[in-house]
Amino acid sequence: MAKRITIDPMTRIEGHLKIEVEIENGKVKNAWSSGTMARGFEALLLGKDPRDASYVTSRFCGVCFSVHQMASARALDAAFGARVPWGGTLLRNLVMGAEYIYDHLVHFYQLSALDYIDIMAVADYKGKDPELNKVKDKVVGLVKRGDTFPLTPRYKPDEFCVNDPDVVISAVKHYLDALNMQIKAKNMGVIFGGRAPHYQSIVVGGFTQLPDINQVARFRSMLDEVAAFVEEVYIPDVVAFGTGPLLPLARAGVGGGHRNYLSYGAFELNESGDKLVFKPGAIFGLVGTKPQRVEPFKPEKITESVRYSWYKKETPKHPYEGSQVFDLQRPEAYSFVKAPRYENVPMEVGPLARGLVDGDPTLLSLINNHGVRPGAVARHAARAIETKKVVEAMYQWCDELTRIMTKPGFRIHDTDHWDPPAESEGAGFFEPPRGALGHWIRIKNHKIANYQAVVPSTWNASPRDERGVRGQYEESLIGVPVPDPENPINVVRVIRSFDPCLACAVHLIDPKTNEIRRFMVE
Amino acid sequence: MLQGRREEVPDRGRKKILILGVGNLLLSDEGVGVHVAERMMEMELPPGVEVMEGGTDGFGLMHVILEADRLILVDAVKGGGPPGSVYRFDVEDCPTAPDVFKTSVHQISILEVIHLSGLIGSTPQTTIIGVEPKSTSMGMELSPEVEAEIPKVIRTVQEVVAASLDHFPENRVVSA
Repeated sequence: MAKRITIDPMTRIEGHLKIEVEIENGKVKNAWSSGTMARGFEALLLGKDPRDASYVTSRFCGVCFSVHQMASARALDAAFGARVPWGGTLLRNLVMGAEYIYDHLVHFYQLSALDYIDIMAVADYKGKDPELNKVKDKVVGLVKRGDTFPLTPRYKPDEFCVNDPDVVISAVKHYLDALNMQIKAKNMGVIFGGRAPHYQSIVVGGFTQLPDINQVARFRSMLDEVAAFVEEVYIPDVVAFGTGPLLPLARAGVGGGHRNYLSYGAFELNESGDKLVFKPGAIFGLVGTKPQRVEPFKPEKITESVRYSWYKKETPKHPYEGSQVFDLQRPEAYSFVKAPRYENVPMEVGPLARGLVDGDPTLLSLINNHGVRPGAVARHAARAIETKKVVEAMYQWCDELTRIMTKPGFRIHDTDHWDPPAESEGAGFFEPPRGALGHWIRIKNHKIANYQAVVPSTWNASPRDERGVRGQYEESLIGVPVPDPENPINVVRVIRSFDPCLACAVHLIDPKTNEIRRFMVE
Repeated sequence: MLQGRREEVPDRGRKKILILGVGNLLLSDEGVGVHVAERMMEMELPPGVEVMEGGTDGFGLMHVILEADRLILVDAVKGGGPPGSVYRFDVEDCPTAPDVFKTSVHQISILEVIHLSGLIGSTPQTTIIGVEPKSTSMGMELSPEVEAEIPKVIRTVQEVVAASLDHFPENRVVSA
């Protein structure tokens, strides 16, 4: 008899992502992923000046604000016929690069690492390293005060958790160091972005703020610090975990799912844009490192199904034609997330998809020479590998910016295309840290007539589609070992490996108690 | 590094009092903290006092929290009172739910960021000025009930600022 368990909330904000799994004989037999909060911010844009879109969409999410701004600006570039000068592209890329470092470090250390270590092992550290003893005192101090959050994992450590005190204590030290590194990465974005969150500088046609030499120098010196951390701490940690206790999970490819991968491609390495850090493309049915089919990316192949979503029933539509009319009465529906499909097939997006589509040699060697199969552990590896790639590109962009910024005629914005066209449409594609992001805009009478965003977590967290085929989260959970239904730690590991972010919304403090009423100001 | 009023005069070792408004501008009253911050940016404030708008950022706000000596956080708070109710409490008074963190897959709450900042630096004394929302549905305007209480919210923030200044004699303006 299968046993059904529900993990809700999966995200910190209640009701955003709910995972239900059916367990039989210690394994997941079936799974449902539900986004339980209505979205549809796009409706706010209708009738507005198209140039507002990049600001308004940056408020979709407190975490991934800048990437929405980027995708939106690119959709507007296309619709306005704007040609972003090379200087503007370089600045956009540098700001986005900083976002990659920030996001990937926070994901690995703050949001994931604690699923893989037994934090309480620090108490058994017997070494003499004064720094590590400070860490030990800090953690033990928290435990003694009964205040173990934020370090307490939700689930009991299992056989895949590291419990060697020396390894755990250095991992916790790196967790704390990473907090400082994410601050640096955030501040790098602010140097050119002007402010954070919600940068002001990425707009249709390019970038608004001319850089000066001091800014580039400051950016570069912070880049040196985070690059050293990536090289000397982040990558070795991922390697140590992946080739250590997690190797069985890595080789079993736990959390692999459909093994179809989509990347829109991103990050120009030259002015003509024909050299990219991540190449675009789609892979169908990967077996080992051999895809059954590889295709160039064609935007017209994207459709969204709402058969299992709380929207008015309609046939799958291309995002240009998409709408957000809720219908909560549909018995089949179980999610506010739509089901995007590429050629009617579910796709994984994100670091693993980018690495595979790009044919990254380090990633392919992990698969071919070390027996790692695409899945939860491979996702962490792909994230670390691409962080290094982006860091390297950021040095090139800094050099290139320094080379051109003092030349006469240096431009960062296409001012000739600032006014909205009377009628037009455009699509903007980008690869944020979490995966493929697309914005589509239709303009009529110089105003926004339709706007749609298909975000990375929509691809990964989608419910079943028109043909009843599971979404990527759902499929990736099938067969995942859950020996103890009270402790579904592997389910959480798989979902977290995607870096889910359905948090495009609420920020309300809800203490779940009326206690706060005591503090009412009369 | 965020948008806000900048100290024009050299700081003479002044303490930094940060008014941080957070929330989502696209969800009507949920964005009340941001609305309050934007209005306070237009106002004259004592030396050492800065206003910032933090949107719904989490970890990204850690550095500004760490740089502050005193933090006044303005946010929507569900306390169970009528819409527009204003609450004032210190962060220690608020039962931050460790349970919430444990189930976190991705983002963490602003209260957790404040606690976490204590692991790598010193957490400023933090007062929360909360406003009971009427509506958190989509929309870029505040509800009339909440809008009507904005002057009271600002007054409450100013009272906390004044009380904080009493503790920071180094922030007193010395006339030439």
